[in-house]
Amino acid sequence: MPPPAASSRYPSPSQPSGKSEVTDLKSQLRQLAGSRAPGVDDSKRDLFKKVISYMTIGIDVSSVFGEMVMCSATSDIVLKKMCYLYVGNYAKGNPDLSLLTINFLQRDCKDEDPMIRGLALRSLCSLRVPNLVEYLLGPLGSGLKDNNSYVRTIAVTGVLKLYHISASTCIDAEFPATLKSLMLHDSDAQVVANCLAALQEIWSLEASHSEEACREKESLLSKPLIYYFLNRIKEFNEWAQCLILELAVKYVPSDSNDIFDIMNLLEDRLQHANGAVVLATVKVFLQLTLSMTDVHQQVYERIKSPLLTLVSSGSPEQSYAILSHLHLLVVRAPFIFASDYKHFYCQYNEPSYVKKLKLEMLTAIANESNTYEIVTELCEYAANVDIEIARESIRAVGKIALQQYDVNAIVDRLLQFLEMEKDYVTAETLVLVKDLLRKHPQWSHDCISVVGGISSKNIQEPKAKAALIWMLGEYAQDMSDAPYILENLIENWEEEHSAEVRLHLLTAAMKCFFKRAPETQKALGIALAAGIADFHQDVHDRALFYYRVLQYDVHVAESVVSPPQQAVSAFADTQSSEIKDRIFDEFNSLSVIYQKPSYMFTDKEHRGPFEFSEELGSTSITPEVSSDIVPAQQFEANDKDLLLSTDEKDDNKGLSSNNCSAYTAPYESSNISSQMQELAISGPAASATTTQSSFDFDDLLGLGLSAAPAPTPSPPLLKLNPRASLDPRAFQQKWRQLPISLTQEYSVNPQGIAALTVPQSLIKHMQSHSIHCIASGGQSPNFKFFFFAQKEAEPSDYLTECIINSSSAKAQIKVKADDQSTSQAFATVFETALSKFGMP
Amino acid sequence: MPVAASAIYFLNLRGDVLINRTYRDDVGGNMVDAFRTHIMQTKELGNCPVRQIGGCSFVYMRISNVYIVIVVSSNANVACAFKFVVEAVALFKSYFGGAFDEDAIRNNFVLIYELLDEIMDFGYPQNLSPEILKLYITQEGVRSPFSSKPKDKPVPNATLQVTGAVGWRREGLSYKKNEVFLDIVESVNLLMSSKGNVLRCDVTGKVLMKCFLSGMPDLKLGLNDKIGLEKESEMKSRPAKSGKTIELDDVTFHQCVNLTRFNSEKTVSFVPPDGEFELMKYRITEGVNLPFRVLPTINELGRTRMEVNVKVKSVFGAKMFALGVVVKIPVPKQTAKTNFQVTTGRAKYNPSIDCLVWKIRKFPGQTESTLSAEIELISTMGEKKSWTRPPIQMEFQVPMFTASGLRVRFLKVWEKSGYNTVEWVRYITKAGSYEIRC
Repeated sequence: MPPPAASSRYPSPSQPSGKSEVTDLKSQLRQLAGSRAPGVDDSKRDLFKKVISYMTIGIDVSSVFGEMVMCSATSDIVLKKMCYLYVGNYAKGNPDLSLLTINFLQRDCKDEDPMIRGLALRSLCSLRVPNLVEYLLGPLGSGLKDNNSYVRTIAVTGVLKLYHISASTCIDAEFPATLKSLMLHDSDAQVVANCLAALQEIWSLEASHSEEACREKESLLSKPLIYYFLNRIKEFNEWAQCLILELAVKYVPSDSNDIFDIMNLLEDRLQHANGAVVLATVKVFLQLTLSMTDVHQQVYERIKSPLLTLVSSGSPEQSYAILSHLHLLVVRAPFIFASDYKHFYCQYNEPSYVKKLKLEMLTAIANESNTYEIVTELCEYAANVDIEIARESIRAVGKIALQQYDVNAIVDRLLQFLEMEKDYVTAETLVLVKDLLRKHPQWSHDCISVVGGISSKNIQEPKAKAALIWMLGEYAQDMSDAPYILENLIENWEEEHSAEVRLHLLTAAMKCFFKRAPETQKALGIALAAGIADFHQDVHDRALFYYRVLQYDVHVAESVVSPPQQAVSAFADTQSSEIKDRIFDEFNSLSVIYQKPSYMFTDKEHRGPFEFSEELGSTSITPEVSSDIVPAQQFEANDKDLLLSTDEKDDNKGLSSNNCSAYTAPYESSNISSQMQELAISGPAASATTTQSSFDFDDLLGLGLSAAPAPTPSPPLLKLNPRASLDPRAFQQKWRQLPISLTQEYSVNPQGIAALTVPQSLIKHMQSHSIHCIASGGQSPNFKFFFFAQKEAEPSDYLTECIINSSSAKAQIKVKADDQSTSQAFATVFETALSKFGMP
Repeated sequence: MPVAASAIYFLNLRGDVLINRTYRDDVGGNMVDAFRTHIMQTKELGNCPVRQIGGCSFVYMRISNVYIVIVVSSNANVACAFKFVVEAVALFKSYFGGAFDEDAIRNNFVLIYELLDEIMDFGYPQNLSPEILKLYITQEGVRSPFSSKPKDKPVPNATLQVTGAVGWRREGLSYKKNEVFLDIVESVNLLMSSKGNVLRCDVTGKVLMKCFLSGMPDLKLGLNDKIGLEKESEMKSRPAKSGKTIELDDVTFHQCVNLTRFNSEKTVSFVPPDGEFELMKYRITEGVNLPFRVLPTINELGRTRMEVNVKVKSVFGAKMFALGVVVKIPVPKQTAKTNFQVTTGRAKYNPSIDCLVWKIRKFPGQTESTLSAEIELISTMGEKKSWTRPPIQMEFQVPMFTASGLRVRFLKVWEKSGYNTVEWVRYITKAGSYEIRC
């Protein structure tokens, strides 16, 4: 085949639209259309190729549609194929013209050559023009009965395509029933496989509104059917095997014999060359044995080897897909993989996404027996050229240190990192040393002597700087020049860009002051003054608070800011176990790669309203991607926690690196701290009553908080429409137009928090109170919801944004309403509904 | 649902679409733009091969100078998608006869369209076996001139001959000379510490076959693996022959291998597809024979001078030899001048990869070779004292040697017509990632 015309070989966006060429083609095609001269097929072929090459590079050649159809009257199969391709591409955009093609496609569906019958049928079903579906029924029906398996294979998929164009037409023609009988009786494996795929899709989509489909869907999982497939599994090709295995996963075995039968049947699938088949089999094994602990363990042992083989063969992308799954298993059962740690050593040339996963796995499987080797290996990576990997490996060492009891050797390593004198290594290490000291204060002596020798000038990264400052404040008595270093830093207050560092500077100055007052007094004074004048709200608030609490009573201040040290027993997991289980249930899918359950990234319902308006891919604010939304909320949450941390003597910024700042530091609820919580995060209406008069908080309260309307004594009871409906677009538009009529904050009862492991639980609950969810997102501890409700009698909508932080047990709502006068009443309804959440 | 793809795109390195096929309507048409702006034009490209943008997930891999992007909107099966891409590329290659790159795609776009139609329908992978597809595909690939292709046009009605039972082989094949070629290709991976301890070492091997056999032959392959031999001696109730046996950690087979028989009798028996295919893959971690030992000594003499001494020893049989040996010895970025002597081969300083590249075309067994170099560095203020020493890397091929010690004991061909066959067996060991820290 000759290459496409030279001019079109390397197209670029700026290329001319090729109009003259298209007109040219058009006339040439027209000439050939009626010709019966010998050799005309060859010239047609060349022209068709040209048309398709234009189509490929994005030139619009839809204007030659008519001519193409005219030329399609041929018996040459090569020409036919190209014509089908062309038609399939442009039919959707030109429904009227596609009517022209129906005729010849229908005729081809009756051709004597099975290949042409198949191709024509496929093209016919791929036109995707809704008003042409009536023409599909006949050819599809006969296609399903064709005596050639190739045609039947195509017809089966055709039914599925039809279903997606017009579900009712497909159901009314009773195609699903035909497919079912084909699935059970056809001799060709591919036909059977396609039937299964099509039926699974059709019935699961139908199941939501048809009981019969629901039953049919269940029947796919019946024992005879499952065994029918599993016994014949070798007759299917590798892709179809994946399909069958995926079906088998959902099967609920009747007893343990059943389980063992299936596992024996599938045992040899673990040796299949196709990684997808192996993974699918692994999933079946894991799911089947979930309830049998011993066997489940053995399954892990059994699947280990095949998975490790898959990791080491194939392209990096393939190993990444497998490694992600292995990662999930390693984290679930680290002890089983503990002896295989060498498999997770990184190779120099591996892409960083593979290395990252391997580092995480090494961290997970470190135990008493292999820690030494693993940490030694990790230390090698710390000198890696790839800075990101070097950082990750230092973090990994730190994580291992935090999960082990014998940290002796690791502390030495960490301190050696500090001697490498590479800025990023020092920075990462400082953060780790700080975390380590929070957990094991007994090491302070060794660490502080080394940390004291680090010049704060070499540390630029805010996190590391904050860590250093924290240590300066915390161990001021052990570091002789702590006050002077702090003083130095405070003098450069203006140049410090990170609010986090400034906050820490304030706290450290306070702590240092309690221990070495004479040396620090001046610096503290400067810090407080600078802090109060700071433009950052949190820094300002904290400085002012310190100032006032010092004014009130120095001893109270000390007990608030610098109470006796308490070691952190464990850093909380970033993901709840429910979420992990859900990901495990969705083994062998994208969930494992993204490390979040599928509802967080596929379910339309859970995508935020923004998603519909934004240009594709502007993920920065799409709430459906929890990792995108969390940091934003995280930021707020962190700031709040930072304020709180003054009385907890525990700063959480170290945790911000592992996302969600849930940690198990004791929330001492001394008198003052509870007030501080109120102060920090609640609206004025709630806090005003609890504020004690001895403090003058007017100033604080006045800061940036809008005055809430006085609660109406007894709002009229609001009736909501239980069947309210609103499409996302309308929601979004309204949300943009309406002003916020009400902002409130409630505390959520503990039962509610316990029930709120996934957004769904609350959504269901609120729905029972006629408040519907339109979008939700986030993961523990930050959840975000958009709700809407409608008045019973009139079409007046209430839109609500609700942010729930499960670690602080607070819900913040913003209400927008068509009828603003009733928004308070709605808020009351909302609060009542929310307060019942989690109650039996 | 194991939907593998809603759409598939082939892009060149600039992000121009070479070819695309939309299988389902659940992804928008401007997906490529999203991929271009959010992945190709950012640092994300090398970061992760699976990315989510908007509501869609992009699963992509680069093969030579082409990006193959699969777009899905559901919670798809990633392993399946990647495998599909790899298989599809292998299929394309078998049609183009060799290379898969931008030019090959541009020259064969009609063929690729045809193939894409057959190998996937509505997002579900269909048949990717080249043997079967030959029956449906009308276009011929544009082959490079030197690769010859037997001209056997399939009869249009050949579709009827594809039986469900042996989906990978056509009936009625006939060759004048019945030949089987079997290659054992091993790649040995090594990670050695600077003190000479083996940190990690394994062999991944492949058994590749090329069959030109008539009819429906049954093949049986015997290897010197431990379990197989034990089983055999047990069945024939005679003691196992002495000799080296090896333990395979894990084996996977081509779909043609009868796995039930493998599990019960431990013999590899199969009806092969016609032409080239990968029969099995295996992995070994115990008892690996390393073909080369590398002994590096690197001395940093002050801030501006370094001495490098690398000794490479071949430890395979004296009658064998390695080909294409390349040793890459890393040097610091600020290398100014290099001076070196080698006992064999040629060495060169390659500043673009910061390495001394030492090439030895032919390296006999049981010998050793040395490179000694003096390196002068530009003294810089910025770069602090320590130079992170990347590992020394090695490439080589050793024919007739297997790092695992695997040997073919027999390869039997049985066909009902009882013709004679010629069997050819070759071994080769290549370097996978062969790294020595220094």
